Amino acid sequence: MKNTTKHLKALIVVAGLVTSLSALAADVKIIANPSVRTDAISAEELKSVFLEERSSLSDGSRVEPVLSRSGSAHDAFVKEYLGKTDASLQTYYRILVFTGKGSMPKAEASDGDVVAYVARTRGAIGYVGVGTSTEGVKTLSVISADNLGSRRLITRVEPVYPPELYKNHIGGVVRLKVTIASNGSIESAELLGGNPVLGESAMAAVKTWVYSAGSSKTKAEITIPFDPNR
Amino acid sequence: MVRRVLGLIFVSLCVCQAPTQAQDFKLFDRDVQIHGFASQGFVHTNDNNWLTMYTSNVGSGEFTDFGANASTQVTDKFRIGAQLYDRNLGGLGKWHPSLDWAYATYKFAPWFGIRGGKVKTVIGLYNDTQDLDFLHTFALLPQSIYPTDLRDTTLAHEGGDIFGDIPVGKTFGSLSYTAYAGYRNDSQYGGYSYLVNSDGAQFKSFAGLQYGGDLRWTTPLKGLLVGTSRMNEDVTLNFLAPTDYSLHSKSEWTNQYYGQYTWKKLLVDAEYRRYWTDLGMQGMSLIQEDVRGWYVAGSYEIAKRVQVGSYFSHYWINYPVSGLLSSGTGHDYDKVVTVRFDPTRHTNIKVEGHFMDGYGLPSSYPNGFYYANNPQGLKPNTNALIVKGGFNF
Repeated sequence: MKNTTKHLKALIVVAGLVTSLSALAADVKIIANPSVRTDAISAEELKSVFLEERSSLSDGSRVEPVLSRSGSAHDAFVKEYLGKTDASLQTYYRILVFTGKGSMPKAEASDGDVVAYVARTRGAIGYVGVGTSTEGVKTLSVISADNLGSRRLITRVEPVYPPELYKNHIGGVVRLKVTIASNGSIESAELLGGNPVLGESAMAAVKTWVYSAGSSKTKAEITIPFDPNR
Repeated sequence: MVRRVLGLIFVSLCVCQAPTQAQDFKLFDRDVQIHGFASQGFVHTNDNNWLTMYTSNVGSGEFTDFGANASTQVTDKFRIGAQLYDRNLGGLGKWHPSLDWAYATYKFAPWFGIRGGKVKTVIGLYNDTQDLDFLHTFALLPQSIYPTDLRDTTLAHEGGDIFGDIPVGKTFGSLSYTAYAGYRNDSQYGGYSYLVNSDGAQFKSFAGLQYGGDLRWTTPLKGLLVGTSRMNEDVTLNFLAPTDYSLHSKSEWTNQYYGQYTWKKLLVDAEYRRYWTDLGMQGMSLIQEDVRGWYVAGSYEIAKRVQVGSYFSHYWINYPVSGLLSSGTGHDYDKVVTVRFDPTRHTNIKVEGHFMDGYGLPSSYPNGFYYANNPQGLKPNTNALIVKGGFNF
């Protein structure tokens, strides 16, 4: 029993270290108002929502982007998901505003304010740091693929949160690389970044997911959030 | 004079009490956003007065502009808005506000939308944002492509656009298109009227049909954008004096090609524009002008809120009928260095040096230099210092 506890503690320490070394994308989780129907969003769709190229998702949900004014989650999101710097993003929005092509999106001062706004605003979608409590909102998985095309996620099973990590408030976002077979099943899953224990759980769940059939195999990158505050 | 004083008071108040973000309010349960901007510049030149200002003595501070807009998203697909703009640049603008744009947009899908009203014309990288100083590293965009004194000729049209973004997959990037048609009407306070009126004639109008399109390709190479624009015009230049007569364009078009590359904090732009006009009276060809300009520009964010930049701008005008102009006229080569500092997210200060060789063709198609405010004649080289500050919210 004593050995098992020691082993678990060591695992938690190692998991924490690995988490801190994970990629930028793993520092951010995407949140949405519960009115948003989907549980997963493609990276392309997420980018086009925040660049105001579209105001609804492919499932028909109306969405409104919400930004954070500064902070590490903001910097990571802007760089990783939008491919811009904060300055170039501000310039982009100002071009829209001063040529009449768009609005300045809502920007909140802190992650907590982003969560509060998303929770009370129908269709709102935002981003916060992984450690931020996300009570009242849903957390979305992000799927990135070169040729996902019209393939849709049909069956999604939520990963099991390892109880020991949950009890110790260890969370984060894990990144997986998956291969979707032409019949829609998950052929393989590989951990790219994030806590390895959470990654194990995420891989086990993702392997049971089913996509719509396609003409060939599709390789995709999926980020799955684990929020110990929920 | 009253307008000038009021304008200066407005800009000063705005600079001192600039709100830090957009002012929003509700109208019929819709969010309406109010945004605005203002800038004030000072220009000194060693020789030659520039951009209709008297810059060559102690310099000129007649370099002010401001604007404000209101817009709202009526439904997910329907949007309306309008912007007022005013400027005083030496003999141009003269504090007469104008409707910069005012239009409604309906976006059926990301790949197809329509807009109608007074619409900013999309040509090249910066035609529709050339007045928005705070968006650019430089105090003055390359004048070979974006001549601020002749901005009216390409700036906006009263008519409509169709537009959209077409994703062609990660392998090929995406395409954006705009096609437009409408009516152009130059301001009474623009460069052409300044030229005509200072020549002893009296400007009535310079207006007519414009139509064209823009196609830009966001390439799969991260940060690289390339594009091309075309504008055709059917315009008439009307005079009130010495007699009531007009010149009509037999053929008038603009072709523009451009590329932009961003890599981390580096931005590199290059554009080429050729403008051709054949203005005639009573079926006779009187004026043929072939104007070609290009520039290469680079800017880099050396620290948070500090950018440095430089460009070389090459302008050249020819009368095809008479052949090349005599040496010393017909060109303007401008080497520029600039530093931009943003004290806050909403304010900026720029210090810029211009080193110009030539002065274009002031008698027919001006490019910043006019005989009217250079009565002693123009010298071949001009160095200019610009200091400019502005804010936006």
